[in-house]
Amino acid sequence: MSEAARVAPCERCECELEADDLRCPICGLSTPPPEREEATRERAKVVRCESCGAAVEYSVEAKAPRCDYCGAVTHVEMTVDPVDQAQRWLPFTVDPKAANQALAGFLGRKAFFRPSGLAQEAALESMKPLWWPAWVFKAGVQVSWTADSDAGSGRSDWAPHAGRTRLDFTNILVPASRGLKVEECNTLTPRYRFELGENEGRGPEEASVERFEATRSGARKAVLQEVERLAREHVQESGDIPGRRFRNVHVAVALSSLRTTRWALPVYVLAYRYRGKPYRVLVHGHDAELVFGESPISAWRVLGVVVAALIVLIAVLYFTGMR
Amino acid sequence: MAVGHDESTASLTEPRLHLGCQACGAMLVLEPALRTTRCPYCAAPAVVERPPRPGVPEPAFALGFALTHAAAKENVSRWLRSRSLFCRSGIRSAEPGDVHGVYVPAFLYSALAKSSFRATIGEDYQEQESYTTTENGKTVRRTRTVTRTEWRPLQGELEGYVADVLVTASNGLRNEELEALEPFDFRALARYTPALVSGWVAEEPSLTREACLKGARSEVGERVLKRLAGLMPGDSHRDLSHDTRLDWESLDVCLLPVWVLPVRYAEGEAPLRVLVNGQTGEVHGEAPISTWKVLIAVLVGLLLVLGGVLYARGGVG
Repeated sequence: MSEAARVAPCERCECELEADDLRCPICGLSTPPPEREEATRERAKVVRCESCGAAVEYSVEAKAPRCDYCGAVTHVEMTVDPVDQAQRWLPFTVDPKAANQALAGFLGRKAFFRPSGLAQEAALESMKPLWWPAWVFKAGVQVSWTADSDAGSGRSDWAPHAGRTRLDFTNILVPASRGLKVEECNTLTPRYRFELGENEGRGPEEASVERFEATRSGARKAVLQEVERLAREHVQESGDIPGRRFRNVHVAVALSSLRTTRWALPVYVLAYRYRGKPYRVLVHGHDAELVFGESPISAWRVLGVVVAALIVLIAVLYFTGMR
Repeated sequence: MAVGHDESTASLTEPRLHLGCQACGAMLVLEPALRTTRCPYCAAPAVVERPPRPGVPEPAFALGFALTHAAAKENVSRWLRSRSLFCRSGIRSAEPGDVHGVYVPAFLYSALAKSSFRATIGEDYQEQESYTTTENGKTVRRTRTVTRTEWRPLQGELEGYVADVLVTASNGLRNEELEALEPFDFRALARYTPALVSGWVAEEPSLTREACLKGARSEVGERVLKRLAGLMPGDSHRDLSHDTRLDWESLDVCLLPVWVLPVRYAEGEAPLRVLVNGQTGEVHGEAPISTWKVLIAVLVGLLLVLGGVLYARGGVG
């Protein structure tokens, strides 16, 4: 999915590699080293400083080769773990005006526990168009599982079973946002049209970007955890385990052809104030009909319901006691 | 399993090298086991470059030293003070000698492991059992709930990658010693370049690839077994065995940072060799135990027991 210059995938597991990976992060195979001129005869080479030409030694303090004379540090190809950056962006197709209207619609919705004057009394405090970060991955997974189930059980209620299954995950989204809750991200995700992806963000001028806070290795960890979770879920729900009941489900996964794309996804975060208290509402950046968030609860109405329930309870107890 | 190799066939031997110093032109004589040297005349550090040799792979990676020699020495002093009282006299109060930082070659191995496993899985169940007991002088029958285990056979397959397996490629560092220094932090892995070892002692691999491969495979076997043990269902398991095929094996030479310190603790005794992980500061050494101290302790223990028994008998009598 990425438009960036592609690096050949890992030869062993066919997982995607970044340009500066020294080894495949999934299977550990070393990436091919850059072409180096081979020595034709033995020689004792003195490594020279690139700045001043003096002999360079490795320095523990600098954790790199450093010149004692000019202090220049020689560049070494190291394992890097940069903070992820978005590669693909979805444009805002809902403008701020429509988002505002969506909020008005949300506040005007009738719900029993909501205060009746919410739409009139609520005051919009802020509206922030925002791109939130997420990883979208696809991968082939070889799943080995074991479990106890009631199928074939003898004296004990359980009998052990083992199996293997091949799964192909496509376009699985893993939220990387710290600002949005996982449930909020999961609600927003199905309405995004990923085919509209662009290489740059397009939307309201004031739109901000929530950065990926995870590093590259953190991202891979999150994706792997999600693969394991999905594999476990699949094994438990697909009927692979025989019988009606099961327990002790263990899964082990071997990934291949993992491709991850870092996305920036549009959403409006609106804050309104009602009787001095702030509440937050999200409006989908692609579909203004998807509006959800917090709303106040009318204490009087809750009290009314509790009192009514108590009266009913007392009445029931009274009449049953009379018999 | 340990790396099983025959020293005569598994070790690499080569003649000494005579090379000119690039800084002052003096003649440097190099041990074949070393990759680096320092000119005795101008003190210029040099790294040996050799044409490719069959059977001796060039280092692919190196982990740079992150622990200073002062910190390494301090760690060893602390380690010496914390040794057991039964160690030979002088060890706990000994001062570490000169510290040498050495880049030790090791093979970094990874593979795709495809295993077929068999195990006997224990599934617990409970049943009522009747037994007889004596209550108030009368024999009565009672029932109780006991947990029993039903053993069932299980077989299956497991596929997974095994990475970051390290085995020594140096005659100077035994695999057990390397294991004691592990783990190394591979997040700091760097692609080998002569600048990384310049000014330090760096060894050439002195064990053959085949000998190291054997060691790596046996370590993979242990790791697979551990992984399988975690995968077993049931309440318990026994007789877990596996037959593992390793595909896509890869072996790269990686230079590891190790501080070596000789500790002289007694006149006429060979110094104790202490190793320190140059990244994490983990210390390893085999402090010799004093046979006399152990013998005396056992004797004192026996005398105390004997004394106790005699006292008890006397007390009862």
